Amino acid sequence: MATAELAVRNLRFAYRAGGDELFGGLDHTFAPGAVTAVTGPSGRGKSTLLYVLGLLLRPSDGAVLLGGSRIDDRPDVERSALRAGRIGFVFQDAVLDPTRTVLDGVLEPALYGGARRRDVIPRASALLDRLGVGARAGHRPGEVSGGQAQRVAIARALVADPPVVLADEPTGNLDRDNAAGVLDALRTAAAEERTVVVATHDPFVLARADQVLAL
Amino acid sequence: MRPLALLREVAASARAQRVPTALVAVLVAAMCLTAILTVGRAAAAQRQVQHRLEDAGSRQIEVTDQKEKGFLTPATVGAAATMDTVERAVGVTLPRDTTNVAVGAGGTPVPYWQVVGSLRDVAVLTSGRWPNLGEAVASDRALAQLGLDEPAGAVSAGPNTAAVAVVGTFRARAPFDTLDAGLVGPAAPGTPAHALDVVVRAAPDAELTQAAVLALLARPDPTDVTVRSPRTLAEVQADVLGDLARYDRALLLAVLATGAALVAAVTLGDVLLRRRDLGRRRALGATRGVLTTLVVARAALGGLVGAALGCPCGVALAARVGGAPGAGFVVGTGLLAVLSAAVAAVGPAVVAARQDPVRVLRTP
Repeated sequence: MATAELAVRNLRFAYRAGGDELFGGLDHTFAPGAVTAVTGPSGRGKSTLLYVLGLLLRPSDGAVLLGGSRIDDRPDVERSALRAGRIGFVFQDAVLDPTRTVLDGVLEPALYGGARRRDVIPRASALLDRLGVGARAGHRPGEVSGGQAQRVAIARALVADPPVVLADEPTGNLDRDNAAGVLDALRTAAAEERTVVVATHDPFVLARADQVLAL
Repeated sequence: MRPLALLREVAASARAQRVPTALVAVLVAAMCLTAILTVGRAAAAQRQVQHRLEDAGSRQIEVTDQKEKGFLTPATVGAAATMDTVERAVGVTLPRDTTNVAVGAGGTPVPYWQVVGSLRDVAVLTSGRWPNLGEAVASDRALAQLGLDEPAGAVSAGPNTAAVAVVGTFRARAPFDTLDAGLVGPAAPGTPAHALDVVVRAAPDAELTQAAVLALLARPDPTDVTVRSPRTLAEVQADVLGDLARYDRALLLAVLATGAALVAAVTLGDVLLRRRDLGRRRALGATRGVLTTLVVARAALGGLVGAALGCPCGVALAARVGGAPGAGFVVGTGLLAVLSAAVAAVGPAVVAARQDPVRVLRTP
């Protein structure tokens, strides 16, 4: 994995043209090797910022830079490739595919990125083991707990070895013990020189973040 | 995404979403079944009509020497027989009534034709041998009328005419069925025919061949010649077959369009129900092309299963009701049905690919 700095410049976003703008010309650099918590009152655009950073939404104005290159204006195919290979996503409620095994679910982004299944299985298995859910690799998502499902989602976000991991309220549905496990996993990912951005309003997460960006 | 991985994904997705896949399979099976039972039977009927329209009778041109001027010579018959578009050409004399020599003038009269050209073009030998000059072969009916138990004996056209030995029996070849009423034998060399019968290779060639034959005769007086031609029949044939083909195409299109509309509805319903699954895929890096291919290929896979079930069932049912279409039609129908299902899934697939993943992934 090559370290890449994630930054936004003069970022603005509105869901409708002419509607209320979020972020108000945000300038920020998300440091590699750190967990940055994005927080703020409900409706200020925490999750929206993550989706803009993750190239699922296009900003109304400004730019998203990865490794110094602007990425928000790329064509859809390139944006998809960046999501598959360079940006890992963790959603609030894991969003695992209920029809496939945990291991197959973890492989998904790597396969979209063009990796061969047989090449990526060892890394996926190792990640599941590291996150303490290796024994659940052959199970369906319906057979694992919420905390385990979120750790599986983190394994999925890391399987393509991306330099950026975005997590949207990853502890929102978890108890303290499970939330701590998930945060540890994200901190470990950051310790490997990844840029980890977490949208949260959970004080437990904020207290453990390296940086806090308040919207 | 690698093609092999995409195929795996299509198969896994089809297995996981059993209900929509099974619905598409059932719809495509019904399309195949309906097409084979309706269009297939119509096509089989069309083939029968075509077969009847193309039998030798509808490919026959008969030119008659109306005033017995003797211009239908063996040379003319031979020239007509060598034309590219001609299957067979023979000359036939006017029939003479003959009776069994052993019975005499009181016997039942039986017609006797002399053939200018090859007897093999008008008859199939069923017993005895082919006749030489002054001999004849008789049909079974003629043999019975002459009172002959076996093809051995002789007939005569009158007390002052030479007897003709009967040396065998024959069955008339289409379209010369009238010869089954009597006897046939070779005409003496140089004998002109009363009628020249030309059988063309294909009905559409009739017009061209008729013109060529008339040019060959080159009669200055057109009243010398009477022509009985299948030209009009060929035109009717073209019209009938054209109408049937248009009807078949319209029916097949209606079946495919109805099936495709239902497949599109099922696929669209499935896409709308699986928005979260599709949104997850987009968020994790699937391109719009991958999602489109996934939805279309899954419909095609269901369609393949449906065609594999529907086509044999359709053939079996059609065979029971006596109108099984050919293998080419069945395979073509199956492929068209699968293609229709795939094309019908393109719209829903584009809807799937265009959905906003954020809307379905956000948790309120």
